[in-house]
Amino acid sequence: MTFRSANSDNDVKTAQLAKVLGEATGLLRGPQRIGPLLLKLVSDKLRVAFEPRHLYAYSKTTQPSEQTLNALLRWILRAQRTDGGIAAYYSLLTGYSESYPEVTGYIVPTLFDFASMTNAGAAVAAAERAIQWLLSLQMSSGAFPGGLHGRINTTQAQPSIFNTGQILQGLVRAYAETSRPEILQSALAAGDWLVAMQQPDGSWSGPAAYQSAPHTYYSMVAWALAELSAHVVENKYGLAAEKNLDWALSHFTPTGWIEGINLRGHPNYLHFIAYILQGVLECAILRRRSDAIEKVAKSAWVWLRKFETNKHLSGAYESNFKHGAHFTCLTGNAQMSCVWLRLFEMTGDLRYLNAALKMNEMLKQSVAIRGPQGISGGLPGSFPVWGRYQPLRYISWGCKFFADALLLERRLTRSFEASEVRALPCAS
Amino acid sequence: MRIVILGSSLYSETACAMAVRIAALGQAPAGALALSTLNRATLLRKLGQLGAREVARYAREKLLPQSGNSRSSASNPYLEPLLQHETGTYRSLREVAAAYGFPVAVCDDQNSLDSIARLKEWAPDLIIFTGGNILRPQLLTVPRLGVLNVHLGLLPEIRGMSSPEWSLLQGVPVGITIHYMDAGIDTGPILRRYEFPDVSRCKSLAGLRNRLIAFGIEKTGDVVAALIRGTIFATPQTDLEKDNQFFVMHEWLRARAAARLTENRPAPAVPVHG
Repeated sequence: MTFRSANSDNDVKTAQLAKVLGEATGLLRGPQRIGPLLLKLVSDKLRVAFEPRHLYAYSKTTQPSEQTLNALLRWILRAQRTDGGIAAYYSLLTGYSESYPEVTGYIVPTLFDFASMTNAGAAVAAAERAIQWLLSLQMSSGAFPGGLHGRINTTQAQPSIFNTGQILQGLVRAYAETSRPEILQSALAAGDWLVAMQQPDGSWSGPAAYQSAPHTYYSMVAWALAELSAHVVENKYGLAAEKNLDWALSHFTPTGWIEGINLRGHPNYLHFIAYILQGVLECAILRRRSDAIEKVAKSAWVWLRKFETNKHLSGAYESNFKHGAHFTCLTGNAQMSCVWLRLFEMTGDLRYLNAALKMNEMLKQSVAIRGPQGISGGLPGSFPVWGRYQPLRYISWGCKFFADALLLERRLTRSFEASEVRALPCAS
Repeated sequence: MRIVILGSSLYSETACAMAVRIAALGQAPAGALALSTLNRATLLRKLGQLGAREVARYAREKLLPQSGNSRSSASNPYLEPLLQHETGTYRSLREVAAAYGFPVAVCDDQNSLDSIARLKEWAPDLIIFTGGNILRPQLLTVPRLGVLNVHLGLLPEIRGMSSPEWSLLQGVPVGITIHYMDAGIDTGPILRRYEFPDVSRCKSLAGLRNRLIAFGIEKTGDVVAALIRGTIFATPQTDLEKDNQFFVMHEWLRARAAARLTENRPAPAVPVHG
């Protein structure tokens, strides 16, 4: 998820103030949320106090991955609003948010993956409703709007490059699953708009980019274009994806850090760092770019060592891995798990699988299997829940990425057992 | 040669067995420095490694006085030949020290200024590390020759933790490496590598680890004897640019490593009827 577009520091501060006021009055509107809120605060306080951090510490299996996966999917299905969109989050203060087009788009592949592994018709139905809603939102230019649906007047809706890319992920997958021509048409229109918006250096900036600046985490857009390219004859989408890939790779430093997140007024949350790695890695796999896979592997290895040594990854970092924040960004952790699992698949290096298994165990402890709607099966933004990233919220994209990680874990552990894991020809 | 033993606690069987092995060479240690028994870091590490039940059993066995005729046996049965003496089993470094006449000191941190001062008093030529803290450069430079470590894997292929388990999964021969420690993790110069010949006799990962520890202590005696004779020299590790470090293995992979162990075992002989 990215933030709502705000083009100056004052806008950022005003938006943050409005958000705080809205959240603060949430409990007055829904006093039934006070109990679950207090319970969560106390349980996280206790977990922080007693968490072991010694050299051998890692979370042992307490609940099967299948059980957590089912709970995550239940959360996503319950978060689907009547319009077909998926809520961005469930707040412990204000309840469910409005539908969020960006997340609704890139949650679609997760729903189809889940359905193909478990034969769950409800997931397919949810994906189809989501796509139908998204098709109704597309602008005449081919772009999709930024922000939460309903908070923005449709006439004032601004096209968003990042959100269009994220939604394109869902459109391409939905087309692959259903072969519906109107979905392909929509995906091509979105792809054409993204190609037209790309700067000569391969980045995306300008008014449709967040804070009008280029960001390396827009590699997720490149991934979506590479996915589109794999389904159509025309090569321009693949070339645009690679152009952005090269631009993003030029921001990888020798230490493994990646510059160019460029979020004014926000720290470098792990979520965005992991976005860069995911986008570059998946784009590189699709375009068979072993040089890019190697660069991602180098950076991912630094993150793996940090996780293995410190037993957690911080929620945000300053440039070059400095000053890790004192909270955990759970969705960033789930994304990092996905990166490690894919690198295991590419390279066969079991240390990536080992780290991902441990990360997934740790994340499972943040997912309540039972509890009130909105909480049960949800993944909070931060641990502890009052951490700076999406405080006091269970976020839909966190559930999506953790479900992706568990689905990958399931597929790869099964194929490991069957000794079928093989590196792609492009993997070094 | 003046040799000092570093141990993770007074009750470390590995430290006791190592002290006995060195003493058996006619080289009673110049001293032994152990972390205090109730050291918080050690306790937490052991809880993580062994679980609360096993730690409680271990503590009961080691800390409570022995009753009448009972002879407590070692947790690691493969160390018993070294730990047994005429009237029982050595249960602590103090008992070994009393038998061989060397001083024992207890500390909360092996890297502390007090610990380093104590080690310097003993003027060691060689320190043998059997457990405790991650050692800092100030300590590593105290002995004339260096600090010796027994790593339960073949270096440089398998560095870091869960080495026997990773060796099984990576298809690297199971073995031990006796090497000098430096500031890196298992990156110091190598004195000797030994492949472990008895993997096929191990029924579990715990059994393998116990056997490797005993094997390592036995071979350390050989290496120290060779050092005394001056017939062995350390070789700097190659491949240091490769990141061969491994981390604690997740239980799912441990189960697969255990399965490899079983696969390695020769099939049981088919009984002949007739």
